[in-house]
Amino acid sequence: MGIPVKYNIRNLIVRKITTGLTVLGIALVVAVFLCVMSLAEGLARVFKSSGSVRNIIVLRQNSQSEVQSGVTRDQVPLIMTLPGIERDTDGSPLASPELVVGLNLEKIEGGTSNVTLRGISEKGSLLRPQFRLIEGRMFSPGLSEVIVSSGISKRFKNCGLGDIIRFGSYLWNVVGIFDAGGTAPDSEIWTEVDGALNDFKRLAYSSVLLRTTDSVARDQIIKALAIDPRLALEGKSERAYYEEQTSTAEPIKFLGFFIGVIMAIGASFGAMNTMYATVSARTQEIATLRVLGFSRPAILASFIVEALCLALLGGLLGCLLGILAVNLALSGITGTTNFTTFSEVVFAFRLTPKLLLMGIVFSIFTGLIGGILPASQAAFTKITLALRQVG
Amino acid sequence: MKFLSLIFKNVFRKKTRTILTIGSIILPLLIICIMGSFLKALDAPDPAETRGMFRIVTRHKVGFTNDLPISYVERIRQLDGALAVTTFDWFGGTYIDNSARNFFARFAVEPETFLQVFDDAKVTRGSIDDWMSDRAGALVGEDLMKKYGWRMGDQIVLVGDIYPVALQLTIRTVYGVSYGGSDGLFFNRKYLEEALPSFEGTVGTIWTKCRDAEAANRLSDEIDRIFENSPYPTITESEKAFQMGFVSMLGNVKLLITSLGIIIVLVIILIAANTMALSARERVREIAVLRTLGFTRRMILVLILGESLTLALIGGFLGLGGFILGLKPFKASLMDTPISGFASAIMLFPEVLLVGLGVTVLVGLLSGLGPAIRASQRPITEGLRHMG
Repeated sequence: MGIPVKYNIRNLIVRKITTGLTVLGIALVVAVFLCVMSLAEGLARVFKSSGSVRNIIVLRQNSQSEVQSGVTRDQVPLIMTLPGIERDTDGSPLASPELVVGLNLEKIEGGTSNVTLRGISEKGSLLRPQFRLIEGRMFSPGLSEVIVSSGISKRFKNCGLGDIIRFGSYLWNVVGIFDAGGTAPDSEIWTEVDGALNDFKRLAYSSVLLRTTDSVARDQIIKALAIDPRLALEGKSERAYYEEQTSTAEPIKFLGFFIGVIMAIGASFGAMNTMYATVSARTQEIATLRVLGFSRPAILASFIVEALCLALLGGLLGCLLGILAVNLALSGITGTTNFTTFSEVVFAFRLTPKLLLMGIVFSIFTGLIGGILPASQAAFTKITLALRQVG
Repeated sequence: MKFLSLIFKNVFRKKTRTILTIGSIILPLLIICIMGSFLKALDAPDPAETRGMFRIVTRHKVGFTNDLPISYVERIRQLDGALAVTTFDWFGGTYIDNSARNFFARFAVEPETFLQVFDDAKVTRGSIDDWMSDRAGALVGEDLMKKYGWRMGDQIVLVGDIYPVALQLTIRTVYGVSYGGSDGLFFNRKYLEEALPSFEGTVGTIWTKCRDAEAANRLSDEIDRIFENSPYPTITESEKAFQMGFVSMLGNVKLLITSLGIIIVLVIILIAANTMALSARERVREIAVLRTLGFTRRMILVLILGESLTLALIGGFLGLGGFILGLKPFKASLMDTPISGFASAIMLFPEVLLVGLGVTVLVGLLSGLGPAIRASQRPITEGLRHMG
């Protein structure tokens, strides 16, 4: 004998209001979870997709980021002549000594934040394949010109094409807007490195970025840098460098899970209430089912299925709400501070199929917790007592 | 309030349901309290009112990676209204490892003027002279001493990242503050200059204690005007504005937390409303009987609203009580998680408890309103005919 599933599903439809309220409760919990997690996912995505495995970033030993690092001018030629660096078509090494400076800029929405100004060398843009100039032109060396990522130009004052970024006697003309396909440079402003060294009266670069010919050469260069005591530098694959900064997204991820789990427990209490009520209101019906020959396990299974349907409806609605929220209300770009570099990182919310699946799993968990006790109460109803019960 | 006992009877009529409903109020309420405390912590420190008065901070206009020349300190010291001027340089570096657990503020400062500007900090152990007489000495906050179980004279090694040096420091003096946390470590900038000559002559931020509010306002503008066209332009702001700058870097965190809070309130209302609807529906006939016994519509309304309010208040008091009692162990348990930095900012704010209570009352009233109106408006005859 099968499970009276049809009976359970019909019951959900008959008790519209109760079903609706419970479903909505679960849906909101799932939607909240999805929004927070898609924020964390979007932020983590910036770091995960940034940097090439073939590129090496050279920093001073013990520096966690370029902001704290320094590479002196006389170290640069030593790095550029390491064997295994890819050559450009003209035969020069594909490497770019760079300077990173934090600019304290005003946000359009109010308040200020630090934006990374990166001085790059001639090869700097070649080393970042996602880089694309979308408006204006490239900066010319020596003219105090900058190009701004479209993310930064939308979020900060005076960063549009043709604007001037001014600090007292410092000023830079914005001559171009670029896009880096959602990678780290999307939160940066670029200029020419020697001009920047001069402007900021710096004696040292922050880092050197270089492309290696293959992974063997990459590992050799990293090792060569590590064992050279004269340099006191270290090399990291560019991908690894950015992945370490993914920790910026960890607090948000933790918050998402923390709120998600506690709220899911709360919602499963709600679902349990609903299931208890529907079981107790149907004691006589359940007894009748038993008389008709449905076994205890069948009744148990059927009520668990009912709770799961309830929760699954909530989960699906929650996913829908989440998709709507992320695509309509939260579709713009947003920003926060990267705590490794103390600079703005611009990103977009990102709802992945994996997250949606997690939302559904969350709702199933809610239904299971909420359904199991009421279902066993239903299954162990004493037939004679139940049939005798009035109203 | 002769209905009180009737309301209580109804609340506890179905114990499982009551416990579940109360549970589903307590859990989200806890989250609201935690998030509210965090929001409050972001806003809380108002140095102008609670701590040292009239301090202003001068930094390089371009941003935090640019230093100012040390000669600016003397220049500012000579301005009228500047009572004391001191320097601050973020050392950063690593103590033990790079985990969030071992992160605390480490600054290179000028011991001679440090406590003149930060006159709200009081030396609790050792003396300023002890600190000044040992160039490798450190001034450490009481809270930090407690966190690591340090004693006077202990040695601490900081490995630099911005500054490529390792410093060995000795704890000479301990300070405490009456408001907020004392979890900083300060050491003599001369020690860093000796280890790293390139550090000489530069300063990260300059802190000035002004005579009064008028002087603070005037000096903020005056300092920036003096250095406006120099190669090192400055921006000077009040201590509060300086610290709010760090908060605004977090971006929309506040908005995010607030909107999450509102959605969570909605979820509790939904769950509680569902329970009330369930219990009112089961009692349609009973309510009709009460009406025939002479209970007015209004009494029925009060009865059901009272029931939902009682339920919410029990959940609310348990939740808030749990929050008050559990805050300390909760904070401690978060110390090894990615949100340790945020968790340590959480304190018990009376305002947050008030908000929690407000949410509770709101949930109680809103969740009961629908079922109460429906139950009180239903004609007696229909109610009596109703089949559960």
